Amino acid sequence: MTVRAAIVLAAGEGTRLRPLTRNRPKPMLPAADRPILEHVFDALIGAGIERLHVVVGYKRDRVQDHFGPTYRNVPIDYVVQKKQLGSGHALLGARESVADDEGFLVVNGDQIIEQKMVEDILDAFEDDGASTMLAVTERADVSHYGAVVTEGDRVTDLVEKPDTDEYRLLNAGVYAFDASIFDAVEETPRVQGELALTDTLVRLIDRDSTVRGVTTEGLWVDATYPWDLLDVARELLLGGRVTEPERADSVWVADSATVHDDATLQGPVVVGPDSEVRPGAVVGPFAAVGRNATVGANAVISRSVLDTDTRVGPNSTLLDCVTGQGVALGANATVSGGPGDVRVEDRVFEDQPLGALLADRVRADGAVSFDPGTLVGPGARLHTGVSVSENISERAEVYR
Amino acid sequence: MCGIIGCVGRDAETLDVLLSGLDSLEYRGYDSAGVALANGSVAVEKREGELGHLKNAVAAGGDTSDLRGPAGIGHTRWSTHGPPSDENAHPHTDCAGEVAVVHNGIIENYDELKADLLDAGHEFDSDTDSEVVPHLVEDALADGATPEEAFRAAVARLEGSYALAAVFGDSEAILATREGSPLVLGVADNAAYLASDVPAFLEYTDRVVYLDDGEFARLESGSWTVTDREGRLLEKSVSRVEWDAEQTAKSGYDHYMLKEIHEQPQALRKCLRGRVDELTGTVDVDALAGLAAESVQFVACGTSYHAALFGAQSLREAGVPAQAFLASEYATSPPPVSDGTLVVGITQSGETADTLSALREAKNRGVETLAMTNVVGSTASRECDRTLFIRAGPEIGVAATKTFSSQVVACNLLSASLAEQGDARDVVEALRDLPGQVQEILDSSRAEQVAERFVYSEGYFFIGRGHHHPVALEGALKMKEITYEHAEGFPAGELKHGPLALVTSETPVFAVVTGRGEKATKTIGNVKEVEARDAPVVAVTDGVSEVERYADAVLEIPETHPRVAPVLANVQLQLVAYFVAKQLGRSIDKPRNLAKSVTVE
Repeated sequence: MTVRAAIVLAAGEGTRLRPLTRNRPKPMLPAADRPILEHVFDALIGAGIERLHVVVGYKRDRVQDHFGPTYRNVPIDYVVQKKQLGSGHALLGARESVADDEGFLVVNGDQIIEQKMVEDILDAFEDDGASTMLAVTERADVSHYGAVVTEGDRVTDLVEKPDTDEYRLLNAGVYAFDASIFDAVEETPRVQGELALTDTLVRLIDRDSTVRGVTTEGLWVDATYPWDLLDVARELLLGGRVTEPERADSVWVADSATVHDDATLQGPVVVGPDSEVRPGAVVGPFAAVGRNATVGANAVISRSVLDTDTRVGPNSTLLDCVTGQGVALGANATVSGGPGDVRVEDRVFEDQPLGALLADRVRADGAVSFDPGTLVGPGARLHTGVSVSENISERAEVYR
Repeated sequence: MCGIIGCVGRDAETLDVLLSGLDSLEYRGYDSAGVALANGSVAVEKREGELGHLKNAVAAGGDTSDLRGPAGIGHTRWSTHGPPSDENAHPHTDCAGEVAVVHNGIIENYDELKADLLDAGHEFDSDTDSEVVPHLVEDALADGATPEEAFRAAVARLEGSYALAAVFGDSEAILATREGSPLVLGVADNAAYLASDVPAFLEYTDRVVYLDDGEFARLESGSWTVTDREGRLLEKSVSRVEWDAEQTAKSGYDHYMLKEIHEQPQALRKCLRGRVDELTGTVDVDALAGLAAESVQFVACGTSYHAALFGAQSLREAGVPAQAFLASEYATSPPPVSDGTLVVGITQSGETADTLSALREAKNRGVETLAMTNVVGSTASRECDRTLFIRAGPEIGVAATKTFSSQVVACNLLSASLAEQGDARDVVEALRDLPGQVQEILDSSRAEQVAERFVYSEGYFFIGRGHHHPVALEGALKMKEITYEHAEGFPAGELKHGPLALVTSETPVFAVVTGRGEKATKTIGNVKEVEARDAPVVAVTDGVSEVERYADAVLEIPETHPRVAPVLANVQLQLVAYFVAKQLGRSIDKPRNLAKSVTVE
């Protein structure tokens, strides 16, 4: 049996990544110089998948607009999940799309995986009669993700976010199924109205159905909180997993970008298409400058991710900073770097490596400074000379 | 305005290839469709109405159908001569049913040809001009000519514009020619294709041969040849096209129009790529290198004309005398030109017959011509001295959206290139911010709510001043095209000189106001006139002026340079028209009576 189709789950917002998900779902957040979902598609297509069925929901136009009807000549079929009621529910929506397939893959669209993981599970699935498989990879700490317990190649338990350090095996979110999975999902009781794919797998295990764990290795990165995007970029830059041409060792610059001769790029660093880096700027190490971004003269940017259309004014300093799309900072903006205490919903995360997180279209006039750990909501307007800290809400105006 | 497809060398798949080709040509017209396949004799199926009617008829024929054979042609029609009906649908055949012909264009001398043929005893089934062609071929065949000689003899008697393709019962070749209407060949190892437009066969081959006027093509399963009128073999180059056939799908949207509205940020990025440098404040477009003009005349139709109005105004601001003309008027009443005049034709498809005529008129008078178009290899780009491609990507929805935005940006590039001095730096900065600002509107627009509120109004008026005058016209055109409701756009100051009599409490007025200068102040004065007549006012504004105080609803746009603001304001109006049409259940991608690219004058 040859598996040709993959169902990619890309409908969820990723609420813990707010306020960055104000205008787009988590799969479209920047992983170095391009969206997380692009890395997922690359892994699938590289492993030979010929059809992508993408379940979209929250802000789905952003996924559709970015990829259109095809990606790397592979056709994309969009399946709309109107209400996001869990991964199992999302999977059911794609049932018709794979009606003619003996077997297919199911992949999370919001975690970065490597092509080899997809190849490993495809090889195992094509060799073996087992109808239910998931990719398992070893990690030092799986307490925030899905842990897997195995005996030989059989999965004996799945534990979501165990919050203890006794587990070492991680569910990589890459599955191979045949059509029987749909009935199994339908039979699974909903928990608070939601239908999680892992609940179905646990039920199958409890009923002695074979769920096989395929051990694999490779890059696997997930962003749970906004500052994790800095780590994601770091991992991708260290691994050289960027698409722009390499101009010098670990310095990747798009052909359509303009980097002034008097600017300095310190690798690893990536500069996206249509961007401008002005004279005297120092960008990197560990900086990802997104599409059509502008780095002003003498600005210093390191350990940061600047998303599409971001403008950084002259003489600004940005350390450990994540910007959303269309952020505009005037001259002399200062994000002096982490660690800082970050408040997300009702929790405070102490000493996180975040200088500041600026959501889409934050606008700051000149000489604005940001305390470590500051979160600024979408469209907020910061006037000249203010110093901000903690959380600034959406479209707030801050005056000195 | 019609679409043609042909295919040879696909054996049992001929019919499927023709039908799927017609699918992607449907935007060129869709009031009837048909196919003809050669298999010893000629089998024809054709139906009035959308392509689905033809497909049903073909499916009803089932396996016993004689719609098979190695060579076939197909056609989707948009009526010019004779109403949509089964009879008037193409292909047309001769009396004996030995030759079938599809035609796009207008045969101007068909009256006399038809009279001659009737005198000679031919019987006609349709009211079309096109049907004279198979009968002319039949006459020549009766005189002992080969199919190719007969086809050439028939074509020699035609006057007007045409792209023609023919199949013969006893031949496995397709013969084709063009004069003033588009026709492209697609070549593969064992098969050959022809179509009015590349996407019709792009699924099978990306190697294309562009046919020029007066050239004849002969397609057979393993070979193709192109000859001139005298039959001399021509060396034609084969080009590769990069458009992705799948790009024509709707990618998860209900309509191409909404998909294309959402594609605008990406389309604008492509239009600008490599052409602007903000640090030096310069615009650098290869196609415009060394271009100089003492004056500029724009020629265009429909939405492109609104972009032309914008282009002319921004050139005048840059100190270059410039005017915009409706192409159909320009061709028949051309204004004076001088040595330094540049004539710019704006046409999305590059095939708009009126615009091509106007450009040819200009060329005949010896002035330099520039095509501003979306389609590489189009007639306009091949006939003009220079071409500025707007790079918007294929647009399928009949109502132009992303191509208007890209045209306005391209006009900005043109005026910055032609201006000797001025504030190019500010414009370049604004242009670089534009794609993200369009995205901001798409993320936050309240157009759907505005549409719901005003959907059952008696009429819609749009006003704007200066650069927003073309936006007012374009907003009204979009509304007319896809909602079928009455809509008019006016320069804001002109309202009180007549149209104000139409304004009532049942006619919302969309007022486009940005910035804070004299134009804004005066437009707000016009808004007050409207408000005094109890008309609901929808302000499309950047919030800088006080217009919101007089508005019943507001559509916000980000603040930007005055030469870039029209793109943003227009995106809001595109969305309003789309959502009104959706509420009314209109055929949004294929409005009645309209075709995407109008290749008749």
